[in-house]
Amino acid sequence: MVWSWIPQNWTSIWQYTLDNLLLGLLPPIIGLIVSVPVGIACVLWGWLYPPVLSLSSAIYALPSLALFVVLIDYTGLGNLTVIIPLTLFSLCILIPAVVDGLRSVQESVRQAATAMGFTPVRRLVQVELPLAVPVIIAGLRIAVVSSISLASVGQLIGVPSLGYFLIDGFQRDFPTEIYLGIALIIALALICDVILVSVRRLLTPWLRGRQVSAGPIRVLPITAGRM
Amino acid sequence: MITFESVTKRYADGTVAVDSLDLEIPDGQIMVLVGPSGCGKTTSLRMINRLVEPTSGRILVDGQNVLEANASQLRRGIGYVIQQTGLFPHRTIEDNIATVPLLNGVSKRQARERARELMQLVGLDADTMARRYPFQLSGGQQQRVGVARALAADPPVLLMDEPFSAVDPIVRAALQDELIRLQAELRKTVVLVTHDVEEAIKVGDLVAVFRPGGHLAQVATPERLLGAPADDYVRDFVGFDRGIRRLSFFPAAGLALETQTVLPGTTTAGAAIEVARREGEPWVLVISAGREPLGWVAVADLEGRPDSSALSEARLTSVEHTFRPDTDSLRAALDATILSRTERAVAVDERGQVTGTTSYEKLRDAIRGAEDAADRGEPPALARHPAEQVL
Repeated sequence: MVWSWIPQNWTSIWQYTLDNLLLGLLPPIIGLIVSVPVGIACVLWGWLYPPVLSLSSAIYALPSLALFVVLIDYTGLGNLTVIIPLTLFSLCILIPAVVDGLRSVQESVRQAATAMGFTPVRRLVQVELPLAVPVIIAGLRIAVVSSISLASVGQLIGVPSLGYFLIDGFQRDFPTEIYLGIALIIALALICDVILVSVRRLLTPWLRGRQVSAGPIRVLPITAGRM
Repeated sequence: MITFESVTKRYADGTVAVDSLDLEIPDGQIMVLVGPSGCGKTTSLRMINRLVEPTSGRILVDGQNVLEANASQLRRGIGYVIQQTGLFPHRTIEDNIATVPLLNGVSKRQARERARELMQLVGLDADTMARRYPFQLSGGQQQRVGVARALAADPPVLLMDEPFSAVDPIVRAALQDELIRLQAELRKTVVLVTHDVEEAIKVGDLVAVFRPGGHLAQVATPERLLGAPADDYVRDFVGFDRGIRRLSFFPAAGLALETQTVLPGTTTAGAAIEVARREGEPWVLVISAGREPLGWVAVADLEGRPDSSALSEARLTSVEHTFRPDTDSLRAALDATILSRTERAVAVDERGQVTGTTSYEKLRDAIRGAEDAADRGEPPALARHPAEQVL
């Protein structure tokens, strides 16, 4: 480790970190906005879910780099080329999370809400979605962490991220850069995860002091293997 | 008034849950629908607030066909309590109770105020519990919240689907007593579904017994159900020792009491023997100056004593069980008699002062009289007494 290298390159380290953060956060956010209505539709029309699930699993199996390369023809070498595949990956995690979250609401609660005179839309907004929050956020945590780590792959097609230090350090045979890149990616992922856990706590005061179960989340392949 | 007019529910697979049901549920009464599982009682209940829609026939709530009402509006006017409570885990107790007022557009402050009133009504401490979440409460407390929530918008009708089945027997008995107490105050039209015939007899003003296949076997008051089951099915369903259980519905007030052999401790043995012989009683009851029971004295035991000795010096058999003719049933009087070693029970008033004694012979006459009156269609006069278990 050449510690002095770090303060000397502070500006670029900070810039790449911000780039990586943006690339890591935008896809799960867009993914969440899309997957809530899609997930609701899948719960309303049960037949919709199996094909959606198959499709998203198939997308998830694609290597990120392959998707980047394919998209270059359409979206060029900009951020969009990285954001689109990462958003698709987020959807693969978040749609099942939304569906599982909504399905985790007890039937007796749903029935009581109907019997008390909730209209279907009101029941969804005031009862079912709030109760699905813990499971949805559990999915969001996986999506954010994997998105932050996958964003670095974008560097291979020149989209700036912390991946720069990994590639540059490898090419110059300068391990300090590689270690720094890895450390920062892990730190970013951890910080975002801690923030999400806090958000969940804030949104679900009724779970405080009780054992929290994330619900029936499907365990998806570990993203790091794709790098 | 809720009216079922030849209501049938047939599911897509051909199962008939309810078969041309005709039933009238009068205002301000507790109607219990009881029967084995699969008899259509829950389906019938759920057709009232349209959680299930009938295949044919009409259900009228105060003259309005429920199918012609807006479902959400209709439901907000009908309280609903279920076995699993169905409380919203993400809302505090006060907000759970305030649900329907909030749906009706009442301000949050007013709705919460109302919620706290209702918590007191169902016996929950608003100050300590209003801001808690459902999981922090015991099963019995959660069920009380469920009842409060159903009552929040002051609906005239309350539907209860096996409301007390999930709690232990002691809590269940307490909740049943609570319902009887609340109903005396609120006079709602209550439809309660249960598979427990004891519960039906205890809380119901009227009981509708269903048989498998969605048919009605009998609709009657609990006393009539025990006294005159319509057929073998109802007889079997009502179960063991219905004759004894029926006595719970007859007041002990009609019981002729023996007062001559109730004597102060200062009475001489000679005088006591004379009274007992004249009345044909083998026991006399000794009372204090304040008319409190001291104990029984056997006439046979007195005969071996000097005529001038006081009763209070004789060997006393303690009085273990008393009953109150003004509030207790014939069943309580019979029970006190059975438990007594002298085959006689002591009647007391609200101050615990002896008003007389009773024996099997007197009970037999009173029971026969009450049964005959009931069979002639004269309603038993006993007000429901929550503390008394009708088991």
